[in-house]
Amino acid sequence: MDDEHTAGYREPCAQCAAVDWGVSDEGRFYCRSCHNVIERTREVVDPNFTPGSTRISTISRGSRTKRPERGRQWMICEGFQFILRNQADALLRLGVSPNFKDDVLCQLWRLYLQKSRQAFTHNPVTSSKFKVRGLDSDSDSAAESSVVSASETNPSSAAGSNAESSSEWSLCSGSVDAAGYLSARLRRTRGLMSMTKTLALIHLALIWSAEALTLSDLLRLVNEGHVPYVNAYEDLPDEMKLEGKDALIFRVEDVPSHQRVHKEAETLLLFLQLPAFPPISRQSLLHPSLLSLRYLMDANLPDELHLWVCRLVERTSMADETLHVSDRLLRPVLPRYDVQTAALIIVTMKLLFGLDDHTEWDLSNQTGDQDDTGELFNLRRWYRLLQAALIRAQQRRVHDIARKQWKAKKPLYGNKSEKCTMIKKKRIAEQVQVCFERLSSCPAGVDRVDPSSFRFCWGNEDGADGPSLHQKKLDGVMTLKLGVLTPLNSAYWHPALKACKPRSCSSHYSEVEPTLPRTFVWLLQLFGFLLDVKPAYLYEEVLKVERRAIDGKTHQRKKRRTRPKTQAKARARTQRGRENKRETFN
Amino acid sequence: MDDLEKELGPLDDLEDDNDSSDDHSSIGTKKSKLPLVNPICEETLKETGFHQSMRACLEQIRDAMLHHRWQEAAEYMPCYSQMLEDTSHSTAQQSKELFWRISTEILHHHPNSRLEDYNNIYERMKHSGVKHYLMICLEHSFYLMLNGHIEDAKHQLSVAESWRHGKESAAQYQRTKLIQAYRSLLDYIIWCDKKFTHSKTDYHDAGDNQDMHSYFRQASVNLKEILKNPGVWDPFILSYVEMLEFYEDHDEALKVLNDYAYDNTFPPNPNAHVYLYQYLKRHNTTDKKLMKALKVLHVLVPSHELMLEYSSLLLQSEKKSDLQKALGVILEMLDFACWRGNVDVWKRLKAIIQKLQLQEDWKDVVSEKMAARKDWWPALHFTRFHASQDSEENPELKEVKASLTKILCPDLTLKYSAGQKTIVD
Repeated sequence: MDDEHTAGYREPCAQCAAVDWGVSDEGRFYCRSCHNVIERTREVVDPNFTPGSTRISTISRGSRTKRPERGRQWMICEGFQFILRNQADALLRLGVSPNFKDDVLCQLWRLYLQKSRQAFTHNPVTSSKFKVRGLDSDSDSAAESSVVSASETNPSSAAGSNAESSSEWSLCSGSVDAAGYLSARLRRTRGLMSMTKTLALIHLALIWSAEALTLSDLLRLVNEGHVPYVNAYEDLPDEMKLEGKDALIFRVEDVPSHQRVHKEAETLLLFLQLPAFPPISRQSLLHPSLLSLRYLMDANLPDELHLWVCRLVERTSMADETLHVSDRLLRPVLPRYDVQTAALIIVTMKLLFGLDDHTEWDLSNQTGDQDDTGELFNLRRWYRLLQAALIRAQQRRVHDIARKQWKAKKPLYGNKSEKCTMIKKKRIAEQVQVCFERLSSCPAGVDRVDPSSFRFCWGNEDGADGPSLHQKKLDGVMTLKLGVLTPLNSAYWHPALKACKPRSCSSHYSEVEPTLPRTFVWLLQLFGFLLDVKPAYLYEEVLKVERRAIDGKTHQRKKRRTRPKTQAKARARTQRGRENKRETFN
Repeated sequence: MDDLEKELGPLDDLEDDNDSSDDHSSIGTKKSKLPLVNPICEETLKETGFHQSMRACLEQIRDAMLHHRWQEAAEYMPCYSQMLEDTSHSTAQQSKELFWRISTEILHHHPNSRLEDYNNIYERMKHSGVKHYLMICLEHSFYLMLNGHIEDAKHQLSVAESWRHGKESAAQYQRTKLIQAYRSLLDYIIWCDKKFTHSKTDYHDAGDNQDMHSYFRQASVNLKEILKNPGVWDPFILSYVEMLEFYEDHDEALKVLNDYAYDNTFPPNPNAHVYLYQYLKRHNTTDKKLMKALKVLHVLVPSHELMLEYSSLLLQSEKKSDLQKALGVILEMLDFACWRGNVDVWKRLKAIIQKLQLQEDWKDVVSEKMAARKDWWPALHFTRFHASQDSEENPELKEVKASLTKILCPDLTLKYSAGQKTIVD
């Protein structure tokens, strides 16, 4: 295949209008359908070229001055606008409805610009720092006034008109307001855009348009490269030159974690002062009832479990509450649909199977004894399948992480001195890479996979992770009591709670983890892998779900965990009692 | 973290960036009392995704290399080459060196590696940093040398010799010396080649001769300088002396060898004396001078094989003290187990004893020399086991040794005798 050589050259052929290029022996491009040879040639990199050799091979008289590349003035928010648009387009290509981009994201972005006073305002935040280079003072004032009067017009057109007013593009490179963007004053207001914020904004827009893409899905798409993020600045139009301080803003070497993006989204929510979100109906795929179905399928759990999950959802009254993003005065709460749903599933399994390292295996043994047909769901079998698949998948993930390409083709330089060293380093790295690619006949980077909502594939086809257990029955763990199906397991354990400082403590998982049952810990790791979050994060959410289940009333947001274990147990006993708890699951 | 945050520092009322929330527990961690090994692949707090990827890649490479899965290691290398573009300065030096060493190791073992790959990698890594430029040059030339590309190796070293980089090159002057020395060695090798071809052909081309001489000149200038520095320069000395011998500059050769052997600033080197002795022997010096050359060697390495020659020289001399010295030399040789089974040494001992017996006080002399050895020599040489072993393997040795038992240890009854087992009470 010549794809690597044609390097994505997608122009249609002049003669036959097909896009099917190959490279001939001399290195020229030719159309494979009509054999039309064009002028374009493949650049050949000679690995044996030693740039550091001291011998001078030619002496030529070239012109000393290089023609500087022309660019136009642009502002940081324009850059982010392009990036957001590219990200949104990528999502649209993946199947998100166009409504998300046109109606929701655009409006949110405009609202953001207005709130942060970067555009659509009479009082722009960067007017005092607006330095126009290379133009005289007349167009200087013209530029300012055009920005100031841009109350309803598109900000990019303001800059565009500015460019038109000067007859030629000036020798500009780098954004106009990068220095201002990074000043301490503006940073303190925390309203300014960053790459992480683009993801947060998209996440908010997705929730608002009730798309089925959760935050963990979004981050997975970013990690796999389906949504531009790392090196997103490469797709900016050519006339927007990036230099200097722009590097600090646009260059990222890290995909933010679930927790971080979530916090950014909450901050953004507060900043934008949005009205109440549209309600999330039960038919929406973000609702726990339906989202849990997806996770159950991914985890190869039987479909019958879904019934119990829904009952838990009712009990914790999360069915209604997650519909609204509560707009409290001080801190709006953005629900974490994916993490909550996973926690719900875990709590359901805890209720049904016990998960205390004894009950579940006893039940499993029992099921194994009494089951002749193989129709019943056996936890031990499930665990074995999942463990094997999990180990393979984790190894694949480590392999992908190790091979991921972070560095851009067009690197961004912080300052002039950095530029020279970086160019040199890049050249060395590329040559070494070519050498090893030839040696191992294996190109760098990860094989691109098609995006999928599921991590595992269960069934009987080739390439499946294992046989499917979705159709198995839960009769092994159920019994009929007073004509009603109830779980055989009647005990529930809870880790010890203790008082802790509300602000400084984040998670006690690392201390508690050695005391927890191994099955439970493993389950946290499994769902942590499915969602790509840390088990500690999931554990906190499980505790929250349990508290709601035990309380039975609307969740009160308290960061303090001051109730000791005995009190919780006592409360459970007095208020509900064991008998009652079982009965409420009917 | 984004570059932005790294550059500007975290803000005050920070987002609780709890990516590593597990570690921020309220109970502080105790410091370990045992010294910890710093792992190469250590996860640090606040690691960017890029660094995490590079760390994972390094672990995979390391694992593959330790298990000799060279193809797999080579497959990860293109991905690891991103590390060379890393902008963080703290680990830059270490990562470049790591990369260099890993790539050469993989090239050594990978079945498809060619000379071009080596050249390529060495050239790139040389120019990636200044601190290890000289080391890589040296290693590159070693590799070329080992594979027979003498001219290329020499070219590499010449380039390295003329490298100047301000303080760096000044700080690495020792390496520069090493490079100069090896370049001279390569000059010598080329000179040898030329000499060989020169001697083969009958037709003597003046041009060839000139060539050969120029190499000699280049080499000798440098070597003379190098050999002034304290150190162990065995191969270089030999080559220099050989060249000098060819051009019949005996005084210089002798001077060089003497300096090498007797200069106190140089580390004690038995080989120096060996070379001096061999040279003197080649050039028919007097016995006295030869003995003088071997004297220090005897002190340094009593078990040296040249001690046999030394003892023969001493035997031939007329002085009485020399004879006693000869006895001492041989006995000291036999103190070492490696000479235990050597017939020649025992025969020499017998010869010395025989000559000694011509004197009257020979018994005193012998007992004086054997005084320190009485306790442990029997166990070393004259046990029953040795008797049986020697009579099986080397009867001649047995005979010689047996004849000496009474002389060396007169008041001990030893189990060592010709063919019989004696009963000891």
